[in-house]
Amino acid sequence: MFHSILEKMDRVFHFDEASAHCDIPCGIYDPHLAQLAALTVIRMVDLMTELDQAPKVENLTYHNSMARYIAVKEEHAELCKREIRVIWGDYIKAEHLEKYPELHGLVHKIMQLGSKARQSSDRETALELLAAVNQFAEIFWATKGIATKRVKAPYKPGEEVVYPAL
Amino acid sequence: MFKILKVRGHSLQPDVRPGDFVVVACTPLLRRSLRPGDLVVFQRKPYGVMIKRVHRVDNDQGELFVLGTDEDSLDSRSFGALRYRDLIGKVIWHVRGGV
Repeated sequence: MFHSILEKMDRVFHFDEASAHCDIPCGIYDPHLAQLAALTVIRMVDLMTELDQAPKVENLTYHNSMARYIAVKEEHAELCKREIRVIWGDYIKAEHLEKYPELHGLVHKIMQLGSKARQSSDRETALELLAAVNQFAEIFWATKGIATKRVKAPYKPGEEVVYPAL
Repeated sequence: MFKILKVRGHSLQPDVRPGDFVVVACTPLLRRSLRPGDLVVFQRKPYGVMIKRVHRVDNDQGELFVLGTDEDSLDSRSFGALRYRDLIGKVIWHVRGGV
């Protein structure tokens, strides 16, 4: 009912429009966001551990900080999974799978590790997630014929990340 | 204070469809109450007035990360975070009925 009233009003007043803009498939894919998200998961686990081992702070402050770290870890583990899913679903083609038959298994592993990273506060799991995403990034750039290099991220947690050697 | 806008584009489907209407509160105070999941309307050059869903809020930096639900959505993944000054307002009422 409201919609039909607004439709009638629109014919008279011509409301402005808000665009839920959808891109033309543009071919812009990059695993970088997934890598940053995986690094963030490690960082959040480190911050959670530091907080837990720090001299006792006031209870409410502790819970507030811990809740924030956990929320960011959740969000970035999910973001990591999503970014990989998009590249896998939209960019990876049959010819890539022929050349890199391990891709399906690797993506599945990233999905599992992403979920495990959400469920736990285990640093090893977070490191495994980054390692798997880095491996995915190497394959991704290889499909484009672009060599890669491994460099330590210049910020905490300072783990190795795969970059295209441009 | 309030605006009625008509939605076009598909990037928020199936939640928000082209032809839906949204009522937007333009009070600056609402910026501090934004949370992930909120629909916001903002100005982004060169695309004009856009509507997306808040993914992350950084009150310290005064930034928002916004996303669409469609895989091909043009959003913060391509144009980066929004500054608060880009915001027009928060959607407080979404009237469905578009196609």
